[in-house]
Amino acid sequence: MLPDLLIALTMLSNFSLVATSRVSKAIQFAVLQGVLLGLMPLAMGLGRHFHIVLLAVAAVTVKGWLIPFLFRRALKQVHIQREVDPYIGYTVSLMLCALGTGLSLLLAHNLPLKPGTEYVLMVPASLATLFTGFLLLVSRRKALTQVVGYLVLENGIYLFGLLLVEDMPALVEAGILLDLFVGIFVMGIVINHIRVAFDSTDTRHLAELKD
Amino acid sequence: MLDVALVLASSGCWFAGALLSAFSRPPERLATGLGLLGSLLALGASIHLLLGGPTSWVVFQAWGLPARLEVDALSAAFLLPLHLVGGLGLIYGRRYWPAQLPWGSGRSLRFFYGLLVAAMTLLFLARHGLVFLVAWELMAVSAFFLVGTDHEKPEVRRASWVYLACTHTGTLLLTAMVILMAQRMGGLQWTVLPVSTSPWFEGGILLLALVGFGFKAGVLPLHFWLPSAHASAPSHVSAILSAVMLKTGIYGILRVSCLLPAIPRGVGGTLLALGALTAVYGVGNALAQRDYKRLLAYSSIENLGIILMGVGLGWTGRATHDPWLMALGFGGALFHIWNHSLFKSLLFYGAGAILHATGTRDMEALGGLGRRMPRTALLVFPAVLAVTALPPFNAFLSEWFLYRGLFTSLAHGYPWSAALGLVALALAGGLAAVAFARFFGTLFLGSPRSEAAEHAHDPAGSMLLPMAVLAGLCLAVGLGAFLLLPLLDRAVAVLAPGTPALLARGLQGDLRLLAGLELVFLLLVAAGLAWLRRPEAVAAASGPQDLPTWGCGYAVPVPRAQYTGSSFADAWAPVQPGLRARRPHLRGLFPGGASFRQAFKEPVGEVFLEPRVARVAERLLRFRRFQQGHLPVYLLYVLLTLLGTFLWMLLRERLLG
Repeated sequence: MLPDLLIALTMLSNFSLVATSRVSKAIQFAVLQGVLLGLMPLAMGLGRHFHIVLLAVAAVTVKGWLIPFLFRRALKQVHIQREVDPYIGYTVSLMLCALGTGLSLLLAHNLPLKPGTEYVLMVPASLATLFTGFLLLVSRRKALTQVVGYLVLENGIYLFGLLLVEDMPALVEAGILLDLFVGIFVMGIVINHIRVAFDSTDTRHLAELKD
Repeated sequence: MLDVALVLASSGCWFAGALLSAFSRPPERLATGLGLLGSLLALGASIHLLLGGPTSWVVFQAWGLPARLEVDALSAAFLLPLHLVGGLGLIYGRRYWPAQLPWGSGRSLRFFYGLLVAAMTLLFLARHGLVFLVAWELMAVSAFFLVGTDHEKPEVRRASWVYLACTHTGTLLLTAMVILMAQRMGGLQWTVLPVSTSPWFEGGILLLALVGFGFKAGVLPLHFWLPSAHASAPSHVSAILSAVMLKTGIYGILRVSCLLPAIPRGVGGTLLALGALTAVYGVGNALAQRDYKRLLAYSSIENLGIILMGVGLGWTGRATHDPWLMALGFGGALFHIWNHSLFKSLLFYGAGAILHATGTRDMEALGGLGRRMPRTALLVFPAVLAVTALPPFNAFLSEWFLYRGLFTSLAHGYPWSAALGLVALALAGGLAAVAFARFFGTLFLGSPRSEAAEHAHDPAGSMLLPMAVLAGLCLAVGLGAFLLLPLLDRAVAVLAPGTPALLARGLQGDLRLLAGLELVFLLLVAAGLAWLRRPEAVAAASGPQDLPTWGCGYAVPVPRAQYTGSSFADAWAPVQPGLRARRPHLRGLFPGGASFRQAFKEPVGEVFLEPRVARVAERLLRFRRFQQGHLPVYLLYVLLTLLGTFLWMLLRERLLG
């Protein structure tokens, strides 16, 4: 019951992310989504496994505190315009997001699941979150909002990993750790690329986040 | 068990030495010592094995399945030259390419040199497809870095890239071969296939092996990377590339062929013909070179052709169940591999000494080095005689094996390929004599053609020592070959089961006789030299000379009036396919100034392939449009690919039913 609620909230926050026009709102929704997903393992009743609790705590700490902290610092130190400034309009983005969600529901319907899996919504939600992340990455102009997109993408991957968390705990944990690690590194590289390619002021602001 | 442990330890020593050399302050003595220790271990193991030790192996777990490392007589026959040349090159390289050079090229050279030897050692042990491919790639990539050591020169970068493209094309084919073999053998482990079940399948494996390994071995249409790569690499690297790395191609062909149940009869003859063509082509182009390292590289192509002729002869024998032919063919090929690795690395060391002393690879800028670098000249001379297959040096004997094999083949009635081989072998030998007369004459005789040659001097002792060892071995193998026959027999027995000690029985007497004749000949030469150098003759030569009255200006020649190497080789122009000359047309009684130009272009690589590759590259420019420089666009590509994959998964069942 509780997990389904969390998953539904996650999917709803996807739509909010796509539709919002404010940078700070987008960040807040991404953080909210991260925290919701961080709580998922506890909601799934896996509190008896110590390492899963540790994982949840780590995820909530990183996504609920560390990342927003970095975002806020970057926002405060530089005067970023409040608008998200997308390539695609908000309505179109919303429709694309809805399309992606529908497609992932369709796809998840056709994917063979492990027999006895309770949470049938998990796979479509994770795929939808993946698509949303990609959409944000592709359609948003500012580098900061692209990092938000990356965060959402990562949330989708995390949600998918939760399916297997009981069977292959070590692997999933390693995957999550690697994800964060790679995320920080790749964003550093991406920001460098953006700096070289666009030579715009926004990227300089982003360099703050890298520290 | 003991031998394979020793060889593995040797590989480990080389690897450790390589790692030590990568430090910012490499402990050079320790690294060199480790490499030499590794060489001694592997040499000891392979000699022990060739003298009659049993085949030894270890099995370890790789990717959850057993993988086998084995050293048998065939591996030992290849480990022997590898570790001889590898160890000597380590000594030679210390002074030739000092570690303290700027931009760290000395360090990277030592690192990849060690890695190359370690990888090749592993390669000769591997009996598992994946291990083999990993070792093969390690070898190929470290050779790429070695060829590109001098990478601030554009032609060196180019040579190394061409090499990389070629070696990876070869690896692609070899990967396909390994997959086919895994299908056929039911696993990546290599086992001998007892009976032929599907000729097409095995034919495919054989074809892939021939082409894939042919890239490495420099077989005729696939050789074009070789000359520039060998000319660009540092000389001791050229030595190991030419002496051993090219031979890994031959090793691969031999190893895979002895796993297969049968070789069709036509394949042996075709390979013999291909080897013959390669040999003549290589030596013809060697004749046309001005760059002496390129000349040596083309001569390597020639020798690889000769080795391939031996393999082809052996396969013919295998297809017709003729043990004597197998013994002569495979024995000749293996013996020539040993010999070539001895004299070719000696030649490359000599070339390195000249390059070190003069800084130029252009033969026409040198000359008269015999007086200025007498020790180098003395040590290179045996190699020049060996490469032209003259007695009493080693290569004469291995080519003699092949001649006997070819005549046997003629006598047994497989004439066309054998007849072609005989003609080609004789022609290649003669042309090699011309090419190396040019090499030695232009470099060491006459008088200097430039300032650089004027002030040349012999290199340090640590560079002369490896050359002296190799020169001694060239002569020793030439005289004592009858002692090596049992060793060759052991290696041949792996390739051709059921030919126990045929070479030792059949050729022992002949070789003893030859050795005796050669000794007499050597004594005669020594006596002749002593007579020429007797005090009164030397005094007469150094005294004042009478010059003829009508000497027409030839009495006291100036260096410019010497024959150039190119004019010497010009008489054999028809066999030099890559040479393009522009001759001036002189008209009238008093023609004005005229110039003569001559340039060499590699017939396959530069004349045939290069324009075609350039055209394809131009067509591919169309795809530049996809490279926008905008990150969101790239991410869009990823998204579209992902969506496409998902849609495919959704629709696959409906579309395919």
